[in-house]
Amino acid sequence: MRILVVEDDPLVAAGVKQGLDNAGFTTDVIGSAESAEVFLQEESFDLAVVDIGLPKADGLTLVRRLREKGLTLPVLFLTARDSVEDTVTGLDVGADDYMIKPFRLPELVARIRALIRRSNALASSEIKYDGLILNVASRTVTLNGEPLDLTGREWGLLETLLMASPQVVSKDKLVQTLAGWDKDITPNAIEVHVSRLRNKVAKGGVEIRTVRGIGYRIDQSRS
Amino acid sequence: MTDQKKRQPGLRHRLIIWIALPMLVVFAISVLFDFRLARETIDSAYDHSLADAALDIASHISASGAEPRLSLSPEAGEMLRSDAFDTIYFSVTSADGRFLAGDKNLPLHPAKSLGHPSFANDHYLGQAIRIAVLQTKSGNDLINVAVAETIKKRELASRTILTAMVIPSVALILAALGIIYFGVRRGLSPLIDIEDEIARRSPRDLRPLNLGNAPTEIHPMLHRLNELFELLRDSAVAQERFLADAAHQLRTPLAGLQTQVELAAQSELFRNDPERLLRIEHATERLRHLIRQLLLFARSEPSTAATQTFQTIALDQLTEDSASIFIDRAVAKDIDLGYEISGIEIQGINWMLREGLGNLIDNAINYTPSGGLITVRCGTRDGYPFLSVDDSGPGIPLEERDKVFGRFYRISDTKAEGCGLGLAIVKEIAELHGVEIRLGDSELGGLAISLHFPSGGGKIRQ
Repeated sequence: MRILVVEDDPLVAAGVKQGLDNAGFTTDVIGSAESAEVFLQEESFDLAVVDIGLPKADGLTLVRRLREKGLTLPVLFLTARDSVEDTVTGLDVGADDYMIKPFRLPELVARIRALIRRSNALASSEIKYDGLILNVASRTVTLNGEPLDLTGREWGLLETLLMASPQVVSKDKLVQTLAGWDKDITPNAIEVHVSRLRNKVAKGGVEIRTVRGIGYRIDQSRS
Repeated sequence: MTDQKKRQPGLRHRLIIWIALPMLVVFAISVLFDFRLARETIDSAYDHSLADAALDIASHISASGAEPRLSLSPEAGEMLRSDAFDTIYFSVTSADGRFLAGDKNLPLHPAKSLGHPSFANDHYLGQAIRIAVLQTKSGNDLINVAVAETIKKRELASRTILTAMVIPSVALILAALGIIYFGVRRGLSPLIDIEDEIARRSPRDLRPLNLGNAPTEIHPMLHRLNELFELLRDSAVAQERFLADAAHQLRTPLAGLQTQVELAAQSELFRNDPERLLRIEHATERLRHLIRQLLLFARSEPSTAATQTFQTIALDQLTEDSASIFIDRAVAKDIDLGYEISGIEIQGINWMLREGLGNLIDNAINYTPSGGLITVRCGTRDGYPFLSVDDSGPGIPLEERDKVFGRFYRISDTKAEGCGLGLAIVKEIAELHGVEIRLGDSELGGLAISLHFPSGGGKIRQ
């Protein structure tokens, strides 16, 4: 997995590069929007981490231009300004996520993994999470290499939870997702399906955490 | 401001008082003059007929003998004394006061001149009378003929005139007062409209006032007011720009520091001294938290927040989103973070409310011991939108509850981390949104803190 970090502050750039390298990514760093634009068009990257506050052209301009040129790679904005306008504009111009400085490296890595997971689901039809591999095209799941037998509803639930991770998914959202299988599915029925799915994936070290009053989130088991 | 409680009367009251009072005085004087004039006219008419009666009597005086004599037939006498309202008296005397005929004790008054009647007011038989005296000549003798009448019909006429004049005058005055009241009201309505517009504005609304409908007299004042608005707006914008720059300058090196500390932790660099690494991580985290809270506090201040505009916010969505942000910290501390959400929309500033709720949940996680319980709620209570966070922590002692909203205030004997700005920020945000903060004891055993929104804009969603 190759990531381009567009960041003009050498201290932050070095830290992010080291952190992403440690997490197993291949990372390049570039200090200006102009060079990044050229670089991203010539070489192939899986994701770009872009600082909004760059010298000359800013990160927002860079991403707008990339999207105009048809580049679809996921972009995560870093920003030292927490004004809503910035972040809203960031998502409007085509960024996929943003983080406000200072951030924690583990969280940055988790967000990057989630973005790549979503983009791969579109590109290669595969969603990977820990030992889970969910193939969207063949509608099959393997857990640590072993095929996992899921019902249609369980499969739908798992796909939704994996695509949303690390976000919590509300029961209402799950009801909407499963409406394709079962128009009159109730929140109570969701609980039953989730409970079965939870038992099936627990063996492989994947946990479905209940967030009381909202819904569920997929997690790695803590032991 | 509080010293100004004793309010100056408004322009409307001044105008009404200063128009109505002089008008009432002028009306009163005018009525008085008219009344006097009318009375004089009537008096002179009655006097005239009294004089006629005297003349009539004088024509019956004959100077045939040594003494002048009144030769009045009983019919003529009866005729003379007949009157619907008043009693009529008369006397005929010689110029030197000798009684010749008529009512003997009728008071004597001197005549003015020969042939010209004079008039006087007097009393006779206990009644007020008007008396006319005419001097006439009978032979060589000067004779005074006095005719008097009680003043009943004059008084009756006065009363009639007074009634006839006062009733329309009072009606006229009332009508004029009404016209003045409504005229002044209507004339001043543009002023009241502008006053309403200013009063309706939220403290953040610093747009210039529209001069279009305002009377030209107050344009200079409105211009000054608009200049003041602009000054405030500029200063809020400058303040916000400064904060954005300060945030950038503070956060970038801090982000560098934090990643370096985390990398150092990964790299076994502190293998021989893990304690030191923990202290560095701890200090970095505190610094990160403090800078974040300081910037947030400064941005929530009313003078800076003036640049922000209210939007419709789905409080339930905002509450639900906080789950994804805080679930990891809650799980790490083995706290059951749960929600009870029902759909409600309010008017507000989204990032502020998100940060405000974030601070409440953050506090709850900090103060609640491992294995504890936190419940976040939103919806309507008593018809008003609310947000609340309950926990099973130690709560806040009663005597400290009004202090915890102060800047940098920390609850005594607490072990939890924090810089003491969390609730101060919540208070700023609450004030800006017209929100009431309530502290109470939770059924979970700890603190129950809730934000109650004003009804305006609260809309329940299904």
